Amino acid sequence: MSGSNEISRRDFIKVTTGIVGGLIGVAIGLPSISYLIDPALREGGKDAWLSIGKFEDMQIGTPYPFSFTQVRVNGWERTSSSFGGYAIRKSDDSKGLLILNSRCTHLACTVNWNEEADGFLCPCHDAKFSKDGKVLDGPPPRPLDVYDEFRLSEDGHIEIFFKAG
Amino acid sequence: MNDETKKKINERYERELNKGERFWPDSIFKDLVVSLGIFILLIVLATFVGISPEAKADPSDTSYIPRPEWYFLFLFKFLALYGQIPLLGKIEWIATVAIPGIAIGVLTLLPFIDKSPNRYYGKRVLPISIMAIMVTGIVLLTLLSEVPTVSEDGSKLLGILQAIAGLAIPVITMILLFLMSFVFKQTTTRVMVWTTSLAAVSMILVSGTVLALHPRPVVEETEVAVTLVDQIFAGQDLYSIHCTECHGDDGSVAEIKGVEGLEGEKITPINSHDVLYTITDSAMYEVIAYGRPNAGMTPFGKAYGGELTKSEIDYIVTYIRYMWDDRFEIPAEALKPLFPPLAKGEVPSYEVHIQPIVKRYCISCHRAGKENNNYLMASYEEILTTGDNVANNIIAGDENSSLLQVIQEHEIMNPEKTDEVLIGVMPPNRALKPNIVDVFIRWIMNGMPQTAVEAAELFVAPTATP
Amino acid sequence: MWKKAFEWLDERLGLKDIYTNLLDRPEPTGNWWNTLGSASMFLFVMQGLTGIFLTVYYTPSPDHAYDSVQYIMEGVAFGWLIRGIHHWGATLMVIVVFIHLLRVFVTASFKFPRELTWLIGIGLFLATLGMGFTGYLLPWNQKAYWATTVGTQIAGSVPFIGEFILKVLRGGPELSALTLQRFFSAHIWMLPAVLAGLMGIHLFLIIKHGESHFPTKED
Repeated sequence: MSGSNEISRRDFIKVTTGIVGGLIGVAIGLPSISYLIDPALREGGKDAWLSIGKFEDMQIGTPYPFSFTQVRVNGWERTSSSFGGYAIRKSDDSKGLLILNSRCTHLACTVNWNEEADGFLCPCHDAKFSKDGKVLDGPPPRPLDVYDEFRLSEDGHIEIFFKAG
Repeated sequence: MNDETKKKINERYERELNKGERFWPDSIFKDLVVSLGIFILLIVLATFVGISPEAKADPSDTSYIPRPEWYFLFLFKFLALYGQIPLLGKIEWIATVAIPGIAIGVLTLLPFIDKSPNRYYGKRVLPISIMAIMVTGIVLLTLLSEVPTVSEDGSKLLGILQAIAGLAIPVITMILLFLMSFVFKQTTTRVMVWTTSLAAVSMILVSGTVLALHPRPVVEETEVAVTLVDQIFAGQDLYSIHCTECHGDDGSVAEIKGVEGLEGEKITPINSHDVLYTITDSAMYEVIAYGRPNAGMTPFGKAYGGELTKSEIDYIVTYIRYMWDDRFEIPAEALKPLFPPLAKGEVPSYEVHIQPIVKRYCISCHRAGKENNNYLMASYEEILTTGDNVANNIIAGDENSSLLQVIQEHEIMNPEKTDEVLIGVMPPNRALKPNIVDVFIRWIMNGMPQTAVEAAELFVAPTATP
Repeated sequence: MWKKAFEWLDERLGLKDIYTNLLDRPEPTGNWWNTLGSASMFLFVMQGLTGIFLTVYYTPSPDHAYDSVQYIMEGVAFGWLIRGIHHWGATLMVIVVFIHLLRVFVTASFKFPRELTWLIGIGLFLATLGMGFTGYLLPWNQKAYWATTVGTQIAGSVPFIGEFILKVLRGGPELSALTLQRFFSAHIWMLPAVLAGLMGIHLFLIIKHGESHFPTKED
């Protein structure tokens, strides 16, 4: 068969295999990729008001360490993660509080208050933050994050508004 | 590379092949010897060096200092040093993504960058020198990774020296080498080799200085209980300090006595089947960690403000499970007696007998921060000299010592207010067994010897009756 | 009698042909530096074998991972040896593969006609590092947990798509059972498949082009 409008068997099979193979590839590939990256596409968690401690326990000028645990569902597991920070009371007023997140803004290690160095030190890459959370030394690109929404509860606890996600 | 060069390369290789050896047996022999050596090395390392034990992952313990595997330590140190650079150091993705990416990119595309057909070392001074500097840098950064960039006292000296050895010298040297290769083309091989060698040596010297100056950090060895028996003992110690005051030394307390704020509180005994058969290990873990605030139990887990790590709570749970749950057989090794039984006439010592008894039954309440009439029992001195009622507490040879009275279920009344109890019966929950009371009596009647040696001197062996 | 058995097998397996094509090949005069490649492969096989044996007792879930490793170390006969070899084998493999890379670099063996062999080799090196990174998390102890937290955070520092990459690696915003599970899957199936595939091509190319000779002034 050498007609000009007719495809040879070889070419026909090449093209058909290519198309069918491509279709199968897409049919398997797309769900597979979706399967693998599915957890990355979810938003989760709930916003909540969380107690970080009694207001009367926080002394003026001294960073008061606090921590709280949040439970989030990851897959089939209820994972509890801990977060922490430091609350620095500036005055007698319950509004005069600076509540810092203890997550280092460089690569998320936890900073620790160091009395001698008069600052927060990060043990990962030697970052140093001032008592107000400003960067004094090291790689962090910005100051420590601040929990700026907080309130004094009826029973004397300071509560911060924790945003999920 | 043109066809003629390719032909020359192939012919050259043919010549080498013809005067060479054979894959079997020559190459394979060498391969097998090396493989055997590696196999033996692996067995030796596994047997004699082993793996240092680590505690279980504790997401709530954010005080742990993270470190990557050793082969990434150079990158870890590089990030720390890079972050010290003003301005540029703030853009962290340059150091975490761009620079490593470019390095790997260059390495991958090497055959297309280094296109000349030259293979002899003498004709490849530039690439070999650059690689030498990079490898020296990587090794030194790995060794320096334990040195902080900023010292505790705020001194930046060590950080600057590290930046010199790890960043400045390598970068400057590489720029020099490039200039020598492409701009100052008359530079001899000798000069380039000397430059590289000097750079490498200076990097090593500066790094050595840093390591010599760097104060050895005090390594806090966290105790990791590895075997089941170790875990039971660890749990037992922790239980006796934190839990005995409310739950009793054997978990049998049903009504709390002697604890501030919880007097008379009724609880389910934790050694009961009700608890042990229905509460799984993970539930028990959560109860200890979170506490039972409504019933009066404070949180003990670090995640909720307490002081116990995940591993420590796990050890307590293991202890409770094996000690009191009759479905589990406790290893015989874990049941060792609290103290060696006393022979007739033998005098107990603080060191061997009193201390473990106090640790098991008393220390939970009689330690700093608890309500205990200020009577502390954590050391020999404390037992003899502390307390609001120390005057009559322990008197050598006197069987009316307050301590002996209260452990024999006689409370001590206030002489001035005869209906007020000064010291209640001890322990408040459950009386000590007679053999333990006997140890205290013998100890005080014989003058409270501290060490086993002192006690042995007081030992009067019974004389044989005729 | 043995000759007859050999002949029977040779007719069906082609043993003589295997010998001629694979084993009885000429090579340039070699050197002990040439053993680094086969040493890497030997370590890969050791890791694979010890790894397979470890999966008989190891459970990749946060509730049981640590305890199952404990059991392997304390409870199973020779468990400590299998895990010990696997642990030290990982370190040795990274070192040997890297020195092999250096050797090939210094003798410029990556040049014509072996450029493709080098490319595959870099892929093997990166896959080896990936095996180290994924395997490190599996014991689920403090070192593993926090090292992976920081490591995935670094992956998250890529501009624009960093957060997405972080979530894909972790299986969510933070380390959880999903993280351990996918790292386990990558460690025992996906990366070993990549390694084995690349090794196959690498070996084919080495047999095809032969081991390169050590360069002399003539090169």
